[in-house]
This record gives sequence, C-alpha cells and structure tokens, in this order.
Amino acid sequence: MLDAMIRARSVAIVGASQKKNEVGGDKLGTVALNYLLAHGYAGKVYPVNPKETEIRGLTCYPSVTDIPDDIDLALIAVPAKASVAVMKDCGAKGVKTAIVLASGFSEAGEPQLEADLIAAAKAGGVRFCGPNTNGMISIVGDMVCCTSMVCAMPRFNKGDIAFLTQSGAVGGSMLGTGNEEQGGFSHWISVGNEADLQVADYLDYLADDPDTKVIAMFIEGIRDPDKFTRACAKAARAGKPVVVYKIGLSDVSAAAAASHTGAMVGSNAVFDAVCRKYGVVRVEDAADLLPTAITFSRLLDKLPKGPNMGLIGPSGGICGVCADECHRFGLDVPELPQAAQETLKQFIPPFGALRNPIDVTQQIRSSPTGYQDTIRTVLEQDMIDGVFLLVTMVGEPRASFYCDIFTEAARATDKPVIIAWTGAQSLAAQAIPQIKRNQIPIYFSARGAVRAMRALLDYRRFLDARDVEADQ
Amino acid sequence: MTPGDIIKQARAEGTRTLSEYRSKQVLAAYGVPVTREIIARDPGDAARAAQEIGFPVVLKGSAPDLAHKTEAGLVEIGLPDTESVAAASARLWPLLPEGGGLLVQEMAAGKREFLVGMTRDAQYGPCVTFGLGGIFAEALNDTVLRLAPVSEREALAMMDEIRAKALLGPVRGLPAVDRPALARAITGVSAAALAHPEITEIDINPVIIADDRPIAVDALVVLA
Repeated sequence: MLDAMIRARSVAIVGASQKKNEVGGDKLGTVALNYLLAHGYAGKVYPVNPKETEIRGLTCYPSVTDIPDDIDLALIAVPAKASVAVMKDCGAKGVKTAIVLASGFSEAGEPQLEADLIAAAKAGGVRFCGPNTNGMISIVGDMVCCTSMVCAMPRFNKGDIAFLTQSGAVGGSMLGTGNEEQGGFSHWISVGNEADLQVADYLDYLADDPDTKVIAMFIEGIRDPDKFTRACAKAARAGKPVVVYKIGLSDVSAAAAASHTGAMVGSNAVFDAVCRKYGVVRVEDAADLLPTAITFSRLLDKLPKGPNMGLIGPSGGICGVCADECHRFGLDVPELPQAAQETLKQFIPPFGALRNPIDVTQQIRSSPTGYQDTIRTVLEQDMIDGVFLLVTMVGEPRASFYCDIFTEAARATDKPVIIAWTGAQSLAAQAIPQIKRNQIPIYFSARGAVRAMRALLDYRRFLDARDVEADQ
Repeated sequence: MTPGDIIKQARAEGTRTLSEYRSKQVLAAYGVPVTREIIARDPGDAARAAQEIGFPVVLKGSAPDLAHKTEAGLVEIGLPDTESVAAASARLWPLLPEGGGLLVQEMAAGKREFLVGMTRDAQYGPCVTFGLGGIFAEALNDTVLRLAPVSEREALAMMDEIRAKALLGPVRGLPAVDRPALARAITGVSAAALAHPEITEIDINPVIIADDRPIAVDALVVLA
C-alpha cells in the first residue's frame, strides 16, 4: 500500500495554480509542483484545478476524476474544508494514496473536520499522510511531494537513511543540514497529524524497504504503542538501526501512585526502556539525530566488536581529552602489546607516546609515511575494536594530506574509524568537505566522536544479545 | 492458596492493597526470595511461630490496606527469645485493626538494601524497576527500568547500571551479592505482573542482602 505513495508512478497535484497568493507568492500546490518538476520526477504529473487548463506546460484537469490515467498519489494542496471534498473525489477515482497538506484539523481544534476527512478516505479506500504535513520526499525515487523550503536545495544526496518526522519544520531543517554533512537519504516523510498512516506504519514499511538501512525519527509522541513496538522489533530483526530523538524529557511525576516504585517511575524512563528493548538508539541532543544516523549509515558493516579503542593524535592534550571522553562514555583505552609499541617506535619521534593513546607529535610531519604506518599498525592489533583519529591545528595542504591518509586507512579496515577534527575548519577548507564526501565519519569535538562510537557499540551489543537469546 | 486465589479473595473482600504476608505469598510463587514468616492469629500464637522460625524474629502488624506499618508503630525488630516476643505481641495486639494479625518473620540482617518494583505504563504495559532501596531510595532515585518480560540476562544487566553498583560486589568486608538470586527477585516480579494483569503495582523495599543472600523483607502488591 505504501509502495503506491513512496514509489508513485503518477502524481496528481490538487490546488496547483498559475495565480499568485495574497502576498504575491506561489500557492502551496504550485510550490509543490515546482519542486516536483525541479527534482526531476520521472513519473506522470497531473495538475488539478477547475479554474485553469494548463500549468507549467502540463494539462490541468478540473477534478481528479477527470484525469485519464490511474493515480498512485494525490497531493492535496487546498484548504482544510475543501480537502474533504477532494478526498471524496480521490475515492471515486480510485486514487490509492494521498497527502493532505492543509492545517486546520484536530491540531487547530477541529476534530470533526479531521473525522470527516478520515471517513471520506476510508469510504473511498484511500490511505493518506497528514493532514497538517509538508509532505514526503523519496530521495532515491527523485520524487519530491513536499512544500518545505528544504526542497529549494538543488539536489538531495541519495543514500540509505530514511527520515520520519512529526515536525515538518524540524524535519526539513535536519534534512538540509544532513545533506550538508553529505549524509545520503532514501526517503523523508513528514507524518503530520497521523490521522490515517502513523509513524509505526511507515517504520514497518521501511523495515522491509530495500533502499533503507538506517531509520531516523524525530518524535513528539507515539499514538499506538503496540504497533510502534512491533515495527521497532521488525526493524531490529532486519538489522536496521532506528535512531530517535524524542521531545518531552521532563517527567510528569506519578504522584497518584500508591507505591514508592510508582512515585519514582516517569514516562521518560519508560520510553528509554522501550528503546533499550528494541535496540532503538535514542539521542539526547536533537543536533545529534542526523549525525548519528549518518554515522550508522557509514559504519553499519563495521560496528565495533568491543569497547577497546585506539587513540591517535598529534598532541598529548587532545589525546588526554579523548581518553577522558572514552572513560566518560564507557569505552576502554588499553595499553597496546609490547610488540606493537616496538613497531610504532620506528614511526614515531622519540618524545611521542606509544602505549595508547598514541601521541605521534607534530614532528611526525617530517616522515612521509609515519602517520599512515602508525594508523595501520594500531588498526591491525586484534585487541583494538575501533580507532579515533584526532586532529588539532592543521591547515592546507597538510589538512588534505590527512584527508587522503585517513580515508585510505578507514576504507582499508573492517573496524570503525571516527575522526575528531578540533582545529579551525576554515584552515582545512578543502579537507573537511572532502572527508564528508568520502563518507568518513567526522566530528568536531572528541565528545561527539566518542558518543557516536558508544552508540555503535551499544547497537552491536544489542544485536549480539538478540542473537544469543534467539539461540537459547 | 495459589496467587490467583489470593488475588480473588482480596477482591472479594474489597481490598486493593494486599497485606505484606499475602503480597509475599504471591511473589514467592514466582520465584522471589522472601523471608520465612508465619501469621499469628492470636497473641499466644506469636511465640510458638517464633520458635518455629528461629530467633531473632521481627513482629509486624498485618492487615489489608495497611501500607505504612513502621509509621503506625506496628513493627518490633530483633526479638531474641520467647519472652520478648510475648511482650511485643502483647503491646502490638491492641493496636491492630479489626481482623488483623501479627506477622512473625525471620530477622534478615544486612547493611545493603535494594528495591524491586513494578508499575504499569498506560502505553507500554508492565515496567520493572531495580535500584537502591531502603530509606534513601526516593531521595537518591538510583533506579533502572525495563519493560516486562525481563529475562535473567536482562535482570543481571540491570544490576550493573545503577550508580551504586559497587554495593553489589565485595565491599567493605561484605561478600559479593548472590546475583542470580537477586535476578530471581527481578524476573519474579516481571512474571507476576505478566501473569496477573489485575496487579497494577508491586513494591519490594527493602530487599535486604543478608551476608550474600537477597531476601524480600517487605513487599506490597496493589490491585486495580
């Protein structure tokens, strides 16, 4: 059913118009049409407007029922009250799915109007997204059915991250910044009021979706917990990490509870327990949502087997910072075997540190291959489960040299490598964007890098424990 | 009586909060290690019961819907012999509500106290809590929570997540806690909650660690 929406071969846009709105801008339907065409949708497009005959060179039909073709998806871009009538037309036409953009339903104190919309859709057999949404985008399908300003970006990066959001505005912002981080996306869905299709329905679909490997969600509340947990379990079985940011951290105290336990349990702790049970990765900072999902996408086949980290940096200071963060987040920084230290001694100046963290010193610059040899040697140690590459002040062209050797090392290993670049980004103006394009995880603080590694480890442990329980 | 019978009887009596004695009978049926105890129905019974259990013992007032026994002055601890039990029994008996009895209980002595509990979330169902117990439980709120069912492996993992986890190991001359036994308290609460949807809350506080042995010293089962 959701195939018809997410892989629609034909789209009707109801409410597209050549006329401008009151402030001289494009009407919502026209905005959607323009974005759809701009992003190179390959399916058929049918504008619908009873007052016009042609828009953007496309034939405009008075009603959905007049379109001489099967319609997979109707984008309904008319005001709330009119949306109900259009939904009835969609049902009469046999349209499979719809997106209702308008606000002014239950979220605005008009539950009856929303009930009417649901009834019209049900009677006509139409499944729909919204209302009160800014639409959906299939990035891999070049199908932009969305009015978010983020669609003004000339193109989205294709990839395997699907993004579900209960806030169109926040979701749009994150899609934009995620693209700037060179994250790659499969689909983006602003779920709106979830009058029909809910977060759990999309999640269930994405768990099976061959284009999706990681699912990011911006959540305000879950409507159907059973359906939600079933979908989370399905994603876990498929080995697809679900990364969630949920608003509502503050607990409403259960003051009425009769027992001590009752008084101590809050809804936030319960959602944490839900996440843990289903392997859902919960981030505490909204700004971490997309970066975490992107890191999972980049390292999904290189999850750390254990907590033992190798730290490689050019200064004792940054090595100490990262070691402290490892301690804070429960990662270990074990001393390397003596043989490895003997090997490293050949590459690292005598005043460096060899035990781990490994301080290669600024003097490593005088050796053409010392840095590469050091990184390779650390990654080759059986005891090491992952590596942090720490960078302080470095400018071009040295920064681009780092980009090259870090990329090569990260690609050559089956262990996770994360860069913490803590120096001025403007001095590495070529290197940093290139690292992102190379799909090597990069953070701009040791804490960010370590927290991401910890999330990868937690997910790996979840998968391992799940396999153990399945064997029993 | 089976746990189902106990719950049925409490409902028939119009009781929401099971007495400590009944609460423990329910929980013990699901593997929670509880104190040895006998309910005395008249003042003379208490001394006989104490001899059967072995000294020292604790005497507690017991009645349905009697949740705060210590505050009501209905607890006598560390009674070393028949005479002290008889004297305590004589003091407590007049304070009991109509139809009440005296719970004669083994004295589980230990410095370490934990809690195990269960609440039912309106959205996600039974949630099992483990944490630091005793009188500081609420002030420190050092607890972790899981959705039921909680497996033994999960129960063991919960113990490593509280801030006070060092208390579980050998600490200050005390032996390491018998973790599998403590896990049985957690999985038992989980199982009881799943078997009886009519239980809305469970509170075992404290679970005292006597030497290395966890034992539920007080317990409360609340019905819908």
